[in-house]
Amino acid sequence: MSRAYAMNDWYAVADAQTLARGARRTMLLDQDVTVSGTPDAPKVIDDAGRTYPAQFKYGHVWTCLGDAPRSLFDIPEAAEQGRRLVPCGVVRVKCSPLRAVENFLDIAHFPFVHTGILGSEPHTEVAPYKAEIRDEVDEVWATKISFYQPQAAKSAQAGGDTDYQYRVAAPTSAVLYKTCPPKPEAMDVIAIFVQPRSETECDVWPWMALYDDTSDFAGLVQFQQEIFLQDRSILENQRPVKLPLDPKMEIPTRADLTSIAYRRWLKSKGAFYGALTEDA
Amino acid sequence: MSNFTLYNYVLSGNCYKIRLMAGLLGVTYDTVAVDFYPGLEQRSERMLALNPAGTLPVLVAGDLILSETQAMLAWLATTHDPSCTWYPIKDASLHAQVLQWLGFSARLTTSVGAARLNTMLDWPVDVEVVRAASRKDLDELELLLTDRVFAGQTWLVGDGPTIADIACFPYVALSPDAGFEHDGYPAIRNWLYAVRSLPGFVTMPGIHPLHELREDGANG
Amino acid sequence: MLTAPVGLLRDLDPKRVMRAQVGGQDLVIWRASNGDISAWDNRCPHRGMALSHGFVRGNELACLYHGWHYGSSGVCRYIPAHPELEPPATITTTVFSVLIADGVIWVNTEGAATPAPVPIASQPLRSFHVEIQSEGLARACLTVAFEGVAPEQIAPGLYQLGARQVLLLENPLDGGRIQITALTDADAKPVDCAALSRWCDAVRRAAQTKRVAA
Repeated sequence: MSRAYAMNDWYAVADAQTLARGARRTMLLDQDVTVSGTPDAPKVIDDAGRTYPAQFKYGHVWTCLGDAPRSLFDIPEAAEQGRRLVPCGVVRVKCSPLRAVENFLDIAHFPFVHTGILGSEPHTEVAPYKAEIRDEVDEVWATKISFYQPQAAKSAQAGGDTDYQYRVAAPTSAVLYKTCPPKPEAMDVIAIFVQPRSETECDVWPWMALYDDTSDFAGLVQFQQEIFLQDRSILENQRPVKLPLDPKMEIPTRADLTSIAYRRWLKSKGAFYGALTEDA
Repeated sequence: MSNFTLYNYVLSGNCYKIRLMAGLLGVTYDTVAVDFYPGLEQRSERMLALNPAGTLPVLVAGDLILSETQAMLAWLATTHDPSCTWYPIKDASLHAQVLQWLGFSARLTTSVGAARLNTMLDWPVDVEVVRAASRKDLDELELLLTDRVFAGQTWLVGDGPTIADIACFPYVALSPDAGFEHDGYPAIRNWLYAVRSLPGFVTMPGIHPLHELREDGANG
Repeated sequence: MLTAPVGLLRDLDPKRVMRAQVGGQDLVIWRASNGDISAWDNRCPHRGMALSHGFVRGNELACLYHGWHYGSSGVCRYIPAHPELEPPATITTTVFSVLIADGVIWVNTEGAATPAPVPIASQPLRSFHVEIQSEGLARACLTVAFEGVAPEQIAPGLYQLGARQVLLLENPLDGGRIQITALTDADAKPVDCAALSRWCDAVRRAAQTKRVAA
């Protein structure tokens, strides 16, 4: 059954602001749950009153519905001095949670979907980069990516080549490390924590840990929201809705190495929730 | 000395009306980002002191503080359009038609605009009522734009774009965000394209630029 | 499988793109700069994006997601991420037969398009969706008066409305809906067309409020 693997992962289901406004009734892996409490004592229960483990990390309440929870991944940069931690609220998208993650990992769409910000014609070429499944940590990593961006971050004063690294820490949680314009020796951290409501709908929680001492908080949030909302109308118009894991249905190119690795990794783990595969 | 300050939220269709009008008129302005979502900053004490309605956008130009987009569009056109075509007040009939469409644009905010906030950001609304009103408003717009097709006309009023088009454009263009596609509305589809083709047009998330108009774009 | 009417040519200028549906098949209908019309499976084979969100450059349709360009044969011609690459001919979308007749766009997803004959000298009126089954539509047409007079059905889909005639061409969609492409007689004036357009709206309202099992 396609939920089996997914049950033992942790998922973001609320942020501090939502908690402060009262209980949040939501859906996770086709199941209704209610999130309440405080960051120090978050609580997740289902309609029958059963309690699920809950922890507060990276600005969000995380929960796990399964009997054998895996450990929640670590983002050490979250604890670094001087970084601004920016939760961005939640956006609902009628798409597979896996399609949402794959879009986050993709760069070839920047000139067309994030025009003038993350990319711009004629700078469309994607130079060769490296994508791999790191078995020792059971994560997908893409490195040595470089792309010209008119405005890489809110803090960017001009266009420039931006270095990117992607890390898929769990099937529905991905982290991006990119050139930090005001502090080039460090990297900005941008993550999406995807809450799968069902196989065809998700709530996406973007979160960032940035070096930026000049932009106001609202400006930082809106820069990220603008970018994510530009992807939403793409995500809601991909068919099939579920992510195909078998190579025949969709045709990748060398620019899609991260997506190829991600799909192979999902298939090898049996992470089929939101996926289309002959194996499920 | 800036022309005006806009208290703005990047995902707001109402704020976008002003950003779009300013782009089309070539008017520069200052922006103050207000954390509408998730912060609900428009309801903070500081923002309520500026605009008791607790809404966005707010436009401030010297002593003038405006909180209704219809007023902002009229002011922008009056102060920055020497041709007086964006807001044609000299012709009583054209002026009245523009005002009629501005009234319609307010209905779109409470129907399609509300449906969009609910679908995208889980905003609490009466879903059935709002969605039925959205369908009704889109059907009405399609009917009236079809009239314009029979008359050989592109724009809502007269023979050029006016603030009526700009006021109605955002939520209609963004209706797919709420699940209302344009496939059954060919007149709406073509009118939206005409607006998107205007010189100085600026986009917002959910409304993509017309890549076909780029000169540095590839031609295969 | 019949040839289905998917809209009016009047509503699709050169370099424009629209979405349609025939027999449950999602379609992109688009016109090149030279005016040629195409009807394809509405799906880019790269990552499944709807081509109907795409844009036309020259005589090619480009996908909005990654800008992959497709030529008139449905074969991919250009991949912006790899500008020097000649895309393999296997990267293609499915091409369907499309014809224009009487100002209507006709598509057949299973063979050559053969437009239905239009029995009047016509001009385009409008295209719209109705939530109703076909039998309910014919009943609704006869109950909605035009300028005080009940319509008379002359032939399937063809109605006499006072001095005017209206032909309703049907294309069944999913979800219990029909797409109607409406034509009127060639002599109708713009003021007549506006009145007939309102009659279409009234028929839709009548058809949709009477959505009770017959």
